[in-house]
This record gives sequence, C-alpha cells and structure tokens, in this order.
Amino acid sequence: MTLPLGKANLNLKGYQFNMKFFSLLLIFLFLGLFEAPLMVMGDRKLIESTCKATPSYNLCLSTLLSNPKSLSGDVSDLGLIMVGATRIKATQAVQHIKSLYRSHPELRRPLNECAQMYLAVVKADVPSAIQALDGGQPKFAEDGMADTAVEAQACERSFSDGGHKSPVTEMNKGVENIANVARAIIRMLL
Amino acid sequence: MRRYIIYPFLFLYKNSKFISLLLQHSSNFLSTSTMVADLEHATSTSYSLLPDSDHHHPPSISQRRRPITLLSSIFLSMLLFSSLIALILNHNSQPHTVGDEIGDGAPAKEVFKPISRGASQGVSEKSNYFQLSSADVDEIYPWTNAMLSWQRTGFHFQPPKNWMNGPLYHMGWYHFFYQYNPDAAVWGNITWGHAISKDLINWHHLPFAMVPDQWYDINGVWSGSATLLLDGRIVMLYTGDTDQEVQVQNLAYPANLSDPLLLDWVKYPGNPVLVPPPGIGSKDFRDPTTAWLNPNGKWRVAIGVKVNKTGITLVYETTDFTSYELLDNVMHAVPGTGMWECVDFFPVSTTESNGLDTSVNGLGVKHVLKSSLDDNKHDYYALGTYDPISNKWTPDNPELDVGIGLRLDYGKYYASKSFYDQSSRRRLLWGWTGETDSEAADILKGWASVQTIPREVVFDKKTGTNILQWPVKEVEKLRSKNTKYQKVSLKPGSLVPLDVGLATQLDILATFDIDKKAVEAALEADVGYNCTTSGGSSSRGAFGPFGLVVVADDSLTEQTPVYFYIAKGVDGVANTYFCADQSRSSTAADVTKLIYGSTVPVLHGEKLSMRVLVDHSIVESFAQGGRTVITSRVYPTMAIYSAAKVFLFNNATGISVTASVNVWNMNSAELDFFPLDQHAST
Repeated sequence: MTLPLGKANLNLKGYQFNMKFFSLLLIFLFLGLFEAPLMVMGDRKLIESTCKATPSYNLCLSTLLSNPKSLSGDVSDLGLIMVGATRIKATQAVQHIKSLYRSHPELRRPLNECAQMYLAVVKADVPSAIQALDGGQPKFAEDGMADTAVEAQACERSFSDGGHKSPVTEMNKGVENIANVARAIIRMLL
Repeated sequence: MRRYIIYPFLFLYKNSKFISLLLQHSSNFLSTSTMVADLEHATSTSYSLLPDSDHHHPPSISQRRRPITLLSSIFLSMLLFSSLIALILNHNSQPHTVGDEIGDGAPAKEVFKPISRGASQGVSEKSNYFQLSSADVDEIYPWTNAMLSWQRTGFHFQPPKNWMNGPLYHMGWYHFFYQYNPDAAVWGNITWGHAISKDLINWHHLPFAMVPDQWYDINGVWSGSATLLLDGRIVMLYTGDTDQEVQVQNLAYPANLSDPLLLDWVKYPGNPVLVPPPGIGSKDFRDPTTAWLNPNGKWRVAIGVKVNKTGITLVYETTDFTSYELLDNVMHAVPGTGMWECVDFFPVSTTESNGLDTSVNGLGVKHVLKSSLDDNKHDYYALGTYDPISNKWTPDNPELDVGIGLRLDYGKYYASKSFYDQSSRRRLLWGWTGETDSEAADILKGWASVQTIPREVVFDKKTGTNILQWPVKEVEKLRSKNTKYQKVSLKPGSLVPLDVGLATQLDILATFDIDKKAVEAALEADVGYNCTTSGGSSSRGAFGPFGLVVVADDSLTEQTPVYFYIAKGVDGVANTYFCADQSRSSTAADVTKLIYGSTVPVLHGEKLSMRVLVDHSIVESFAQGGRTVITSRVYPTMAIYSAAKVFLFNNATGISVTASVNVWNMNSAELDFFPLDQHAST
C-alpha cells in the first residue's frame, strides 16, 4: 500500500516502516514544535521593535500585549490598537472630570475647559484617526493623536492659569503619554 | 492493521500542515519578489483582483485516538498543541472590524454631532456638549466667542471644512471642488464640496458635487484632477477609498456639459479605472494629475506612489480615460522622500509671462514637478525638463530635487494644485491651509481650514531657478483705503507704528533699502542662520531682522513679525532670509508657535521687497515678487478687531534701513450660497 507522499513509498515490513516513520515523525515534530513558538516570537518581535521606536516602551508594550489582536497585526493594526487605548483613556478622563465637578465646585471653570478638550479628543480626534488609519492616510491620524496630547496639556494648564493646583495631573499625563506612543507608531506608516 | 490507519492519518496531518505552511510562506515570498520586479518592468496593468485575505488556514483534520506507543503519543500531543497555537496565530487579516481593535464595542465610524457652522459671521452659537452648568457660560472657556469669531477670514475662501482638488474654468465660472467633511471639524467622511466664482475672490457655494455613495469611494471621495479634452469635454479622475479600504482611481464627468454651474456629476459605471499596480501598496496610490497630451496622441496621467521610502511618480497612458497602460519608465523618483501625494506636473514658459496649457512642451518650456510629502506635510517643487519619448523628467539641479529642495510655501500650506485658466492664459495655484490651533478650539468655532488666495505661477526669468507665485490680480479689487509711507528711516532698534485704521484685513507692499556696502564689508555674520531655529525676530544680528510686524497689539505682547535677515557665511557670501515668526503671535499656549522661512534669492541691484496679505487668522507673505512664500496661521487673544496694529521695525544692530510701505485696507469678499432656484439648469 502506498501513501500519497510522492516518492516516499512505504512497505509493510514492520521494522523498516517504523524507522522511516519514526525519523520522519521526528523531523516533522521538531519543525512543528519550533515553528509555533517562532510564530509567536515573530509577531512579538514586531511589537517589541515597534514599541522601541516610541517614547514609552513599557507603556506601549503593556498596552499592545493586553490586546490579543496585537500578535497578529501589522504596524497599522498596532496603531489602531493604540488609538483605541487612547480613546479609552480619554473617555475615562471625561468621566473622572464629571465626578470631580461635583466634589470640587471651586474648580468648575478649569474642569469645564478640560471636559471640552477631552470631548474633542473622543468625538473628533479619535474617530478621525481611525478613519485615516483604515484608509491609508496616516498623517491625518498623526494629527489626531498630536492634538490629543495638546488637549491633555491644555487641560493641565487650565488649572495653573487660574492659580489652582491640578487634581488631574496623572490623568492628563496618562493621556499625553499614550497619545504620543500612538503618534510614534503612526509615524512609522508615513 | 491499526498502525496502517493511524500512521497515514498522522503523516497526512503533519505533512499537510507543514506543506500548507511551506506553500503559504513560499507564496508570500514569490509574490513579494514578483511585485518588486514588476514595478520597474511593468508593461501593462491588468485589473488585478483587489487584495483579499491571502492567509491560508492550516486545514484541521480530525483524528481518531488509537493506542500507540508512549513516545509517539507524547510527540503527537505536543505536535497537536503546537499546531493549535499555530492555527490561532495564523488566523489573520480580515479587513478588520475596527470595533475589535478598540475593544470597547463602539461603532467604527461615529457621526460627530454637528454644530452650526455660523457661516460668514463666524461662530454663531457656542457649542456646549457638556452642560455642566447653565450659569457662567460666557466665562467658561479661555477662547471667548469674540476671539474665535475674529479668526474667521474676511476675504479667503473657506467653507466649514476644507481640503481642495480639481479646480477648473468652464463657461465663465471658476469651479473649485474641495475635500469636505460634512460631519466634523477634522478630516474624515470626505465628500466633494463645490463652489464657483467669476473672479476667484467672491464665491458661491453649490451643492456637493460628489458624495461617497459607491463601493469604490464609500470610504472617501478624495483628491482628483480635471482634464479638458480637445473636443471640450471634461473628465475628472479622482481617488476613491473602497469598501475594502483600497485606494483606486475613478472616472467622473459632468452630467450636463452645457450647464455652466456643472451641478451634477456622473460616475463612470465601470469604475474603478485604475487599481494599485503590482508592487504598490493598496494605501499608497492616490491623487491623479491633470492629463497631458503626448506627441503620439495619447493622454498621460501621473500618480504619486511610494516603494519603501522612495517617492515615485508613475505615469499611465490612455486614449479614452477608461482603460490605461502603465508606462515602463517612472517619470521620476527620489529616495527617502516617502509617499508623494497630490503630485502636480505642469509646464512653464521660460520666455513668456503667460501660463501654459498642461500639454505644452518644447523649446522655451520647463516642467515643474511638485509633490506634497506625506512625511512632513510640506509642498515641494523642482524645475526640470520632460522628455515625452522616455517619459522622464530630469531636474535642473539634482541637489534641489523634488522633496529635498525648494518648497512652494514655507509655512502651513499643503495639497496644493495648479490648473491652466484658458480664459486668462494663466497658470493658477490653489493651496490648502489647515489650522494650527487645537481641535477643541476648532470645534468651538465650528470650522477648520482655509484656502489661500489663488496665486499666479510663472517662471522666474531673473534667477532661472525659481518659480514666482503672486496673488491673483483680482484680489486687488478688494483694496479700499490706501496709506503710504515713504522713506521711513529705521535706525537699529526702531519700531514705527503704521496708522492704517482697522488692521485685520490688509494688503501691504513694502520695500527696504539697506546700505549694501556695510554688508559687503563684513567678513561674516550669523553663520548658520536658520529662520526656524535662530530665535525669531527678537534675536538681533548685525544685518537683521527688519521688516513688518502684523497682527500685533499696542504693547506688542502679541505680534507676528515678517522680516528679512541677512547673514553672511564663512565663505563671505551674503544670504537673505525671509521669515515669519509666530513664536509670540498669541498668549494662548495651545497654538503652534513656530518660525517659518527660508533663504530668498536677491539679485544684484534688487531692493528687498515683501508683500503681506493679512486676513484675521491667516497671513500670506511673499518676498522678492514671490520667490519665497510663507503662509502663517495666528490666533491672538488680544490683537484682535481694533486692537490689532501694524508696525515697521528694525532689530538689526549694524545697519539702518529705509522702508517705503503701501498699505491698503481690504474689504471682505462675498461668500454666499448660489441662488439655485433662479438658475435654469438646462
């Protein structure tokens, strides 16, 4: 009986059968064993090299790796993941500002300004960046992320401008950092 | 007997997986190498299938569990395990659903809540999504309504959102088609806006010319160009972003050529007419040019692409604009410049002062090749010669090649394109100027982007190495009151206010006389000067800066100087720089405050001259008749309305300057909606 393996005709003699089989089995096995982790490493390598080119390697790495799609994506996909993470951070910022508004009436003016800025991020910057990345116009995506960092900085300044101490410094920094990482990834597509 | 059943299964399973992987990898490898080779040797383009998911899923084959040797079973399970991992990892490349990417289930394309655009009056209402409190609304934002509505220009074309393409002249009207986002003050949902004018200055808005309503442009009706055929027909080639996010070229034409308003447009049913050729990415293929006639009677169209980091201009040949042949030779390529967008290719006369039709070539003609660089958002150009036989464009000076040499504009200016106005025999250039303030401010004011005043483009016969850009003569009809200052003496450290009345809409012509001998005598001064990095107008040198200060308040807390600065290198050669300084243009912190500029050639015997168009938040500055041009955006908080002033200044330490200035106040242009109910379309 012959198997559909091209030239590898196998006869029914037990011993011969076993040896050939076994050695072929071993070869294929090793290849199989190695190629799976290689696949994992290959995509992880892309993530690592991409993140190395951003201002916050660790932030980039942890953000991307927490999204399972990152392992099978190209740089554009990584950019989209990072833009999505930026959006989440900005949305959380809006919620946080809302809660502070109730507890800190003396800060209403700068909080209002901040809310406006973060809504610009969520409603305009992020959707524009996503559409631009999808369509292959990365520079407009870069604009969106660059503006996000500007809005975060402006929010921080709106407190000091009024002589107040900002209660949201970490929050603003978080948005700024992640937007800058997204921007750096997007720049790689230009 | 059982072995004979198991082992074949085992073999087939491992074999097929391995073979499928082999095939997968090798097919990728093969197609890549074919693609790269194809680019250089492409002879024809077939309509290759739009890219599809080309990843193979290793076939899973069910296995029957049978008792086998222990070792084999261990190997088998490990193999199974690793194969499973491989399976999971290989699953890839659907046109991804963006919602997955984001991970929060939000829809991919959000409709931005529209706010009233406040037409020509600027912001007509405050947008206040976030109703935290109804009281204190007037004092909430650092950008007051007054500041924001001041920013709207008086005599520049601007709809709510503005990118531009496809200008043309037809039956007495200039037509302007521009990239427009109907939903937001950011880029997106791109549609073709449409406006017409008799004089390039006063505009009428018309309904959208084209909207994204076909699978081949559903994700954006992007830039394109119009070609006037010999029999008077108009064809429009434009880039569409397909439902698969592939960039393709489509054909459209007016529904009714005898309609001077060109209201309705028909998309060719056989679209797309061009898809990305082998070797070019599906997102690196856009912005077809106006076509030109080749001596062989066929039309040629150029499209910018990139391969890795090399920007390239491909050329297609066609007779009917529906089927095309990709020419073997690329027109030109420059390594390291990245993607070439909005390529523009046109002839200029080296002997005459009129413009030339796009198809003209021959003696006394040079060709300008222009590209917008995706990488740095600047427009570059170079002069050269075009050989229609070889389809090669060769730069006059390879060191100043496209993308590495001269810029059309050293400020905020992008995606420009020119067209030949056959009625006035001029080559006219349109440019898009975006905002340099924050998006939050753009949302508040309800608009973003303006069009620069159209510029006439001619070859600079005096230098032979430049083109000249000059605002179209029609803008002068907006001039009203004129104020002249003759021979104002500016000693080092001078600042002279110009009494011109309202200084927010001005046309200023200024010339500056300096003691050339003083410059010649100096060995060197300010070696390595650079507009952007040398500190702006407050950085004083021996021979500069001196010039005008516009959009400034009395105390000069906010100011936008536009100036010359003469520096002398170690080689003893004096270079004149022309700069526009936004570093102190506003006390607001969320606006761009760069200093733009470049050297400008000044020939022996020439006076230094500049023209500055001031129009609220846009300033267009032209040096030496348009050899070097800078467009600036400024967003003052104090120097607005009647508080805005204009000055002459000389901050040089070593020379006095004699200035003569001619200032005109500028009336506003009319931007309205064309009264269509009064228009008979047939």
